[in-house]
Amino acid sequence: MIKPENQISIPTRQPAGPRLSIPLRFRDRRRVTILMTLIVLAYITLATLPTMIPSHFKLGTALTSFAENIKIMFWQPHLANTTFITLLGALGQSILLAFLTTLIGSVLAFFFALASTRRLAPTYLVLGIQSLMAVIRAIPTVLWVLIYSVVFGLGANAAVVGITFHSVAYLTKVYADSMDELSPGIIETMQAMGLKKSAIIRQAIIPYMMPSYLSWTFIRFEINFADAIAVGAAAGAGGIGYQLFMSSSFYFNFHEVGVMVYMILAFALVLEIISYRLRTATN
Amino acid sequence: MLTVKHLAKSYDGEKKSLTDVSFSVQPGEVTVIIGPSGAGKTTILRSINQLIRDDDGEILFDNTDIRQLNRAQLRQARCRIGMIFQNYNLIEPLTAIENVLHGCLGTKSNLAGIFSIYRNREKEEALKLLEKVGLAEFAYQQCRNLSGGQKQRVGIARALMQQPKIILCDEPIASLDPKSTITVMDILRDLATNDGISVLINLHQVDIARSYADHVIGINNGQVVFDDRIQALSDTAIASIYQKDANSEGSVVHEF
Repeated sequence: MIKPENQISIPTRQPAGPRLSIPLRFRDRRRVTILMTLIVLAYITLATLPTMIPSHFKLGTALTSFAENIKIMFWQPHLANTTFITLLGALGQSILLAFLTTLIGSVLAFFFALASTRRLAPTYLVLGIQSLMAVIRAIPTVLWVLIYSVVFGLGANAAVVGITFHSVAYLTKVYADSMDELSPGIIETMQAMGLKKSAIIRQAIIPYMMPSYLSWTFIRFEINFADAIAVGAAAGAGGIGYQLFMSSSFYFNFHEVGVMVYMILAFALVLEIISYRLRTATN
Repeated sequence: MLTVKHLAKSYDGEKKSLTDVSFSVQPGEVTVIIGPSGAGKTTILRSINQLIRDDDGEILFDNTDIRQLNRAQLRQARCRIGMIFQNYNLIEPLTAIENVLHGCLGTKSNLAGIFSIYRNREKEEALKLLEKVGLAEFAYQQCRNLSGGQKQRVGIARALMQQPKIILCDEPIASLDPKSTITVMDILRDLATNDGISVLINLHQVDIARSYADHVIGINNGQVVFDDRIQALSDTAIASIYQKDANSEGSVVHEF
């Protein structure tokens, strides 16, 4: 007979009194905590919202001038201080910044992922690398660029290293996750045939993870493009972000900002089309 | 060919999954292991190529004890032990011929594995094996598009690519329909009879064992309770293999 202490015990809670309805789950402390947190957050939001609005604020005027600016940007875009060719070059710079950081990041992340997937690596490596990457991910990309600008000075070098740094942490996590999804039986089968680790990675893991590898890398490219623009403005890394910063904060020329926003939107559209094609091709 | 002596295994150090299992497998014979769920059939099979590290005993394969080998030696020994699985474990995004060619990668270099470099002789062999299992026209199909029976046959061709002396089959027909079951079992039977390969199969279906096996090993509660030619497998013997052991702690299914 199985000893009572070895039996799988299903956690049961004795109802305190007669139940009127049959509950679908036990009332657990987690759900209560979540509810309480939401109530507290809602209260804080409602209480602080009025204090955020300055006393001289007039909603009507604000809305009209906002609409006016939008109109200038999107209905009257034209250039004043730069040429279209310069802006195209700047856009190209931002795209190349995104491309370079994604390329370096995905190659490095692939090896980090191999060293931190539960399918191949020992637990201490999995935990070690994944928690290090989690810490790196927790700090925003722009902040990493600013941190590296202490070493490299403000400019493109700091931007490349900073964006790459965050990309590696992000991609390591998603690559390792997609490797974890692989059934352990597959790797066991390859081991049972006497295959070397290199062959197992190339012949079993890569074929299975290729679709998710491609789509995650592409998503990271989109993120890096957005970051490259932000970093161009914030850390002087050049590119379309820097031009945006100059037009909006230096020349106050919203007509010009409009042109750049249209250029960025056009490229984002191209990215979206490519990513759609990629997804339908690999699935 | 393969001799297992006094094999013992316990997963948690307390409950014994295998106790003193001994049997031997002859070349050119189909040996079938039958027994109730949780009796230890899979543990025995996986101990033979050391996918599971057992606790005690001897596993003599070609007169060397597989348990004593170091990592490199074990990898070499595994190259000559084919294995097929209930859920096939093919690399589904790859084609049938690529999967079959994996069978010969164990003996090749790192570079060959990384860049998928195969000799023409090996590719011809792979095509020949696919033809042997009746899948010549599916060689360039992705494995995810094949049916269960076809996948299992690719699995067999992959095992044969290893030029194995023995093929271990872990519930090879448990997910197959009756027609595919017969195809797969016919192929396995043929490998033993005509190619002289030892075939060791875990099975649930006693009737299939009756029509294909030469030798039967009955396992109950981690112990060998029957070890004889198929002709000796009487109904009383089957009843004793499948009987519920009142003192069993090994069975997975408990009755409440």
